[in-house]
Amino acid sequence: MPGADQILVALLTGLADAAALFFVASGLTVIFGVTRVVNFAHGSLTMLGAYCGWSLISRLPPTPLGFTLGALATMLVLAVIGAMMEIGLLRRVYRAPELFQLLATFGVVLMAEDIVQALWGVEDLALRRPPWLRAFVLVGGARFPRFDLFVIVLFPLIFLFLWLLFTRTRWGRLVRAATEDRDMVAALGVDQRLLFTSVFALGAALAGLGGVLALPDASANLGMDLTTVTDAFVVVVVGGLGSLSGAALASLLIGFLQAFGIMLVPKATLALVFVVMAVVLVLRPNGLLGRPPGRERASGETQAVVRPAPRALGLLGLGTLILALLAPFFLGPYALAIATEMLIAMLFAASLHFMMGPGGMASFGHAAWFGIGAYASAFAVRLLAAPMPLGLLVAPVAAAVMAALFGSFVVRLSGVYLAMLTLAFAEIAWAIAFQWVNVTGGDNGILGVWPASAFAGPRAFYWLTLLLTTLGTLWLRRILAAPFGYALRGVRDSRRRAEAIGVAVMPLQLTAFTLAGAAAGLAGGLYAYGKGSVFPTYISLGHSVDALLMVLLGGVGTISGPIVGALAYTGLYDVLLSVTGLWRLVLGAAIILLVLVFPEGIAGGVFRLWQRMRPA
Amino acid sequence: MMREKPLLAVEALATFYGRAQILHGISFTCDAGETLVLLGRNGAGKSTTMKSVIGLVRPASGAIRFAGESIFAAEPHRISRLGLGYVPEERRIFAGLTVAENLDIGRQAPRPGLAPWTTARLYALFPNLAVARNRLAGQMSGGEQQMLAIARTLMGNPRLVLLDEPSEGLSPLIVEQMADAILALKAEGVGIVLAEQNLHFALRLADRAVVIEKGLAVWSGSITALAADEATRQRFLAVGVEA
Ligand SMILES: Nc1ncnc2c1ncn2[C@@H]1O[C@H](COP(=O)(O)OP(=O)(O)OP(=O)(O)O)[C@@H](O)[C@H]1O
Ligand SMILES: [Mg+2]
Repeated sequence: MPGADQILVALLTGLADAAALFFVASGLTVIFGVTRVVNFAHGSLTMLGAYCGWSLISRLPPTPLGFTLGALATMLVLAVIGAMMEIGLLRRVYRAPELFQLLATFGVVLMAEDIVQALWGVEDLALRRPPWLRAFVLVGGARFPRFDLFVIVLFPLIFLFLWLLFTRTRWGRLVRAATEDRDMVAALGVDQRLLFTSVFALGAALAGLGGVLALPDASANLGMDLTTVTDAFVVVVVGGLGSLSGAALASLLIGFLQAFGIMLVPKATLALVFVVMAVVLVLRPNGLLGRPPGRERASGETQAVVRPAPRALGLLGLGTLILALLAPFFLGPYALAIATEMLIAMLFAASLHFMMGPGGMASFGHAAWFGIGAYASAFAVRLLAAPMPLGLLVAPVAAAVMAALFGSFVVRLSGVYLAMLTLAFAEIAWAIAFQWVNVTGGDNGILGVWPASAFAGPRAFYWLTLLLTTLGTLWLRRILAAPFGYALRGVRDSRRRAEAIGVAVMPLQLTAFTLAGAAAGLAGGLYAYGKGSVFPTYISLGHSVDALLMVLLGGVGTISGPIVGALAYTGLYDVLLSVTGLWRLVLGAAIILLVLVFPEGIAGGVFRLWQRMRPA
Repeated sequence: MMREKPLLAVEALATFYGRAQILHGISFTCDAGETLVLLGRNGAGKSTTMKSVIGLVRPASGAIRFAGESIFAAEPHRISRLGLGYVPEERRIFAGLTVAENLDIGRQAPRPGLAPWTTARLYALFPNLAVARNRLAGQMSGGEQQMLAIARTLMGNPRLVLLDEPSEGLSPLIVEQMADAILALKAEGVGIVLAEQNLHFALRLADRAVVIEKGLAVWSGSITALAADEATRQRFLAVGVEA
């Protein structure tokens, strides 16, 4: 049993964690509240804050005053960066669908990683710690860093500052009003642009503060962007999107959960946090203190219907297929391996598109189903010594079962919340794969998942992959063209109308969710056999993001979109990787450019050009 | 050119939602101190007309001039700052803000030639709001929310107000209060464009009327002419005067 001192220290640690979470999450929630943009780059702002802070503070005298000045200067720098990001990018995409805004901020994440790496290098940067930073206080018999006490004190101070800002100033009132109904605020004569830019600047400054304050105990490092943004998302979603008090409350909850979780269930803290998030969202779909989402988009534009592809496109597809069939005769083994990966990516992207485009259910954690499929195949091989056909069958079945179970309590959630729960689920799956070493091999993965001898050669395996992925993708397309697909789109466009004409909304969405999971699982199983091994990275956030990027690049509104997107993304990735070290920078810039120029994705943009060129 | 141009002039306005054309040509004018009513059945396009004028919905073609400037497809905040106020049908008060805070959001600088609205004057006009000034707007009754929506827009000292169905869903007593407030506004020299289905309410307040049917202005004239024109009322409004 932990003693009283330990509990006290855990309490303080929890408070310090909560404070760190709050600084970042408060900015994120305020930005979301007003602009309705899910800023995936918020963690990148924290990372920038840490690096800028490191550079500034290292050059200032190693005193508390020097540190404070450095922190304030960093916040100022970040405020400027945030304002520039809003003016240069987000302002142009406010009217675009939510997912494109997300894509744009993903672009920023990618670019920021390379920029930071180019400016500061790949090493973790820790602050030289003068005595005052190393000091401890004694809590009972245990030691607790004095700096963390300072962070704890800062928590209520910042909260109070923000609270006063939002309740006692006209600017704050405008922000709160705009959070409820920004169009109405505009109709009352308020220029939203100034408001949005300043909110973004404030949010970025807070993110920067979070980065600076992480320096004394940890370091500035390249991985902190995604870990930070994931944590901040959890806090914001648990607290309720757009709610400042909710963010504070959720920060406390998560902070304590982490601190005490390490004491009680050291191996499953990560899973614990996400389980709590899932429970909160199931009980309170809008978070602890969140309100139901405000007005829907005022413009009554319904999304374009997915049209059957024009005949020319069908012919093009057929030509590509024939080419793909012949590819092994003129591609070397390396190129063939890449082609195999592309095919798997295509099925993976098509499965995400299936639920996201026509289904209207965005997922930030689609890699979960891919990973479950991959691990299912691996277990089948390792534990049951199953032959390959069985191994490949188990993959989609296992993924479908899990998707059906999980889907049955999340599909009723909407938009961002659903996306966040899928992320949560994927993170749990990842945590299990990573932390349950006895069964999954942890980081070392499971090796020796080789295909049957008939398919062991790269050519044979390529053909098998071509067959299965093409069948899978075509099968998904067929379903979309059938009445099921029309009903699904009907639900996406107007749930109430669909209900009114007697569509069983829940079962319909659940079926779509499950089918998407099954297809992704098949892709995962193929991937496991293709690589001969499975690793937790298959379930990582990065892999889910890959799928999202493929779908969004290709275009959500067209059926061929995910195919084009998968090929373009995998191709772009491999080409970029071979020609430049700064591939993320280039890819990120390309994504941002695409969002600004082709808001309907590559396939959608080409389709539009095609329509324009055709004689009327 | 002797006659001054009207304060608000809308000409051949056409608006789409997606691919569906909702407005097929709406024209009307409204002067300072004048009250114009847009009449029409459910879904005729009254609200869409107002949203197109204030810029919340982007009109496709036509012309809109206000106070000598073209405001066609301009941004809502610019239009509002020229002195064009808008009170939406759904009221759209900020539920999480107090009454006083709601009023503050609408505040704009005084406009030359108009007695500026202050919270004190508005509380006098709508005594219910004075009592509730520190309550959350979301906790007030429907009638009080309607008063707040109007008062909030008046804080911007508009020269002309677009009032979308202010009497909808209110008790007769509150409707009376609303009518008095509108008459008070009119006396201040503010132009008023009213959207209504309540013909009785309209006949009492308006000087002129435009009847909209399926996105098209099909009749326009003085309110007395409309009161006398049983056939038009029957055809496009299908309600008697006493409704
Ligand atoms: N956001 C929207 N998207 C698509 N169609 C819309 C939208 N808003 C309104 N419409 C349609 O436009 C038409 C005109 O609607 P509008 O609200 O302007 O009518 P109205 O005259 O104000 O009716 P009411 O008296 O019921 O308020 C209706 O057919 C309506 O269904
Ligand atoms: Mg209306």
